[in-house]
Amino acid sequence: MAKKEIGLIDELKNKFKVKPKIQGERRIWLSIDSDRLIEICKWFKESGFVHLSSISVTDWLEKGDYELTYHLWSYDAKKLITIKTMVSRNKPTIESVTSIWAENAQIHERELHELFGVKFKGNKDLNPLFLENWQGPAPFRKDFDWRNYVRDKFYNKENERQRVYYD
Amino acid sequence: MVKRSEKARTMRKLIKAIWIFNWFNSCGFAELVPLVGSRWDMERFGMIIVGTPRHADVLFIAGYQTHKSIERAKRVYEQMAEPKVVIALGSCTMTGGMYWDSYNTIKKLDDYLPVTMYIPGCPPRPEAVFEACEKIFEHVKELE
Amino acid sequence: MIEEMELAPKESEYDLYFGPAHPGSGNFGVKLKVDGEIVVSARADPGYLHRGFEKLMEYRTPIQNAVLSDRLCVLEPLNWNLIHAEAVDELLGIEVPERAKYIRVIMAELSRIQSHIIWYGVFSKGTGFDTGFKMAFGYRDYILDLFELITGGRVYPAGYICPGGVRRDFPNNAKAKILKVLDKMNEMIKLEELENPAMNARAKNVGVLKLKDAISLGATGPVLRGSGMNTDVRKEEPYEVYDRLDFEVPIRKEGDAYARYWIGVEEMKQSIKIVKQALNELPGGEVIDSSLKKPKLSLKIPEGEVYVRNEIARGEAAIYMVSNGNINPYRVKVRGPDFLHMIPVLEYLLKGAQIADVPAVYWSLNICPADMDR
Repeated sequence: MAKKEIGLIDELKNKFKVKPKIQGERRIWLSIDSDRLIEICKWFKESGFVHLSSISVTDWLEKGDYELTYHLWSYDAKKLITIKTMVSRNKPTIESVTSIWAENAQIHERELHELFGVKFKGNKDLNPLFLENWQGPAPFRKDFDWRNYVRDKFYNKENERQRVYYD
Repeated sequence: MVKRSEKARTMRKLIKAIWIFNWFNSCGFAELVPLVGSRWDMERFGMIIVGTPRHADVLFIAGYQTHKSIERAKRVYEQMAEPKVVIALGSCTMTGGMYWDSYNTIKKLDDYLPVTMYIPGCPPRPEAVFEACEKIFEHVKELE
Repeated sequence: MIEEMELAPKESEYDLYFGPAHPGSGNFGVKLKVDGEIVVSARADPGYLHRGFEKLMEYRTPIQNAVLSDRLCVLEPLNWNLIHAEAVDELLGIEVPERAKYIRVIMAELSRIQSHIIWYGVFSKGTGFDTGFKMAFGYRDYILDLFELITGGRVYPAGYICPGGVRRDFPNNAKAKILKVLDKMNEMIKLEELENPAMNARAKNVGVLKLKDAISLGATGPVLRGSGMNTDVRKEEPYEVYDRLDFEVPIRKEGDAYARYWIGVEEMKQSIKIVKQALNELPGGEVIDSSLKKPKLSLKIPEGEVYVRNEIARGEAAIYMVSNGNINPYRVKVRGPDFLHMIPVLEYLLKGAQIADVPAVYWSLNICPADMDR
C-alpha cells in the first residue's frame, strides 16, 4: 500500500478508535455502532469518498437484527470502504444519510423502506416505489416464505376470468 | 359460389394484414423488435406497429407480467375494436416459467385475458412468430 | 372580449402521462406536469417488471443462479453472467484458468458492442430517424448468430459463463467468423458517423448535466464520462485480463445528449480493438476449473462476504454476496446503474425541458427498465 493509504487507515484508527479489516488490495470492512454513523460518514465524505455505491440490509433471523451496510468508493484513493451497523429487527429505525449524499442516498433508502420496513429519520419521501396496493408484510423478510404464499394464492385458485368474459 | 356465414365474410374482409399494438415487455423487446429490423423484415407481410389500440388487430403478450402491468394490458385489450386476437409468447405465460415462485408475477395468462394461441420457447425464435401469424390466416380461410 | 381573455387566470397546467404503452417510451412511466410546452416537474413510476430477484436467488444454488442471472437485463445478458460468476469464484476461492479468462473478456466485449447498437437504434427512433432503427437491428443479428454458434442461445446464453470458467470451448471455426463479423461492425460504425443534421439539432445542448450534479446524483458510466470525469472500472480496478490489454477511454466535457451519443460510438471502436487483441493472445489449456467440472448439488459455499464491481455497457454494476456456510447464498444484493439513471437523474434533467425534447433526453441515458426493477 502507498503512503497515502497507510495515512488514511492510521488516521481512522486514531481518530475514532475502531479496528478495520483489510481484504485484498482495495477492500476495507468496518463495524460501528449505529449512533456514530453520521459523524463517521461525514469524515469519509470530506476525505474524498464522494461516491455512495449502494446501501443494503441483511436480515439475520436468529440473532434478531438487521445489518445495514454502506459501500463508499473514492475516485482518488481507488479503495472501497464498507460500514456495517446493526439495528433491532422489530422496530428498525436509523438516521438518514441524505444530509451527506443527497439524492443518491434518498432513492436507496426509499427502496429499503418498502422491501424491508426500515424507517429512515430525516428522509422526506418514503412512498412505495415498486408495488401498488400491497397489503402483506415487507416482502424480503426471512419469515415470509414465498413458496407457500405462491402455492396458496395462485396454484390452488379458481379461474378469475370466468366471472367476467363470456364468449 | 360458396355461401359463407356472416362471421366468415367479415373476418375475410378485415384480417388481410395484421397490425400489432406496441406493448413490448422486457423479454419481448429482445425477440419481437428484431422482427421490425431489416433481417426478419415483417413489413413485407403487411404487418406494422401502431401506437393506438383503436387501430390494432393483435395484442402480443410476450413474457412475464406483473400485477401492475396486467391491469394496463386489460385496459388496452378492452379498448381494441373487434375482431381482435391475443397471442401469448414464452413459457412464463403458460405456467409461470422461471419465476414461478415470485410473489409479484402472474402464473397463468388465461386467467386474465382470453388467449387464442400460445407460442412456446424461452424466448421463441422469430420464425416461430411468423408461423403463428400464418396460422391465423389459415384459420380465417377455413372458417365457414 | 379581449380584455376578458387577458384577465382570465392562467390555467394551462395539466398532467401528461408518458407511460408504458406510449410509442416513444420503454417499459417505464413518467408522470409529467406541463405548463404550455415546458415541463414543470417529473415523477418516475417504476415497478412494471419487479420480480424480486434478490430473494429468488436465495432459494437456488449458485449453479442454478448462473442460469437465472442472464435475465437480470435482457439487453446485455453475458455481462451480468460474468459479474455473478466472479462473485461466486471469489467466495469459493477458485482461480480461473487463463484460457477461460480470455474467453470471458471476448464474450463480454461482444455483448457490449451489441448493446451499443441497440442504444443507437432506439436513440434514432426517439429523434425521428426511423431508418437508423431498422438498420441497427439488422446489423445486430450478426452478433446474435455468433452467440448461437458459441453458446447455444440467441438471446439468453443459459449460464455460459459459470462459476469456475466457461461451460465449453470455442468450436473450430469460431475465430474466423468473429473476425468477419467485426468487419461488418466497422461498416455499421461508418454509417453511424454520417451525421444527420436533424438529429444534431435535436441532440445538441439538450439535457445538459454538469459534473458536480452528476456525482451527487449517483451517475456512473457513459453518463458520467459525458460530463467530463475520467473514470472506468476496467482501468481503476482491473478484473479478468483487462490490465494486459491496451485500450482508451473516451471522454467529453459538454454533458449534453450529443456528447453521450458520441461516447457510445467511440466505445464500440475500442471494444473491437480489445476483441482483436484478445483473439491474438488466446492461450491453450482447460476452460473450467477441475473441481467444478462436474459440480455436485450439495456443494457448500464457505462463510464470508464479498463485493464485486464491474463495468457493464450502461455503467457500474456491483454484487454484494453474503454466505453463512449453506448450499444457497444467504443474501445477494444487486446494484444496477439504471436504478440511479432512471429516477434521480431523469427527474432532474426533465425539469425545464420542452415536451418535444423528452424522448431525446430519455433515450440518451441508455436505460434498461429490467435492470432497475429487478
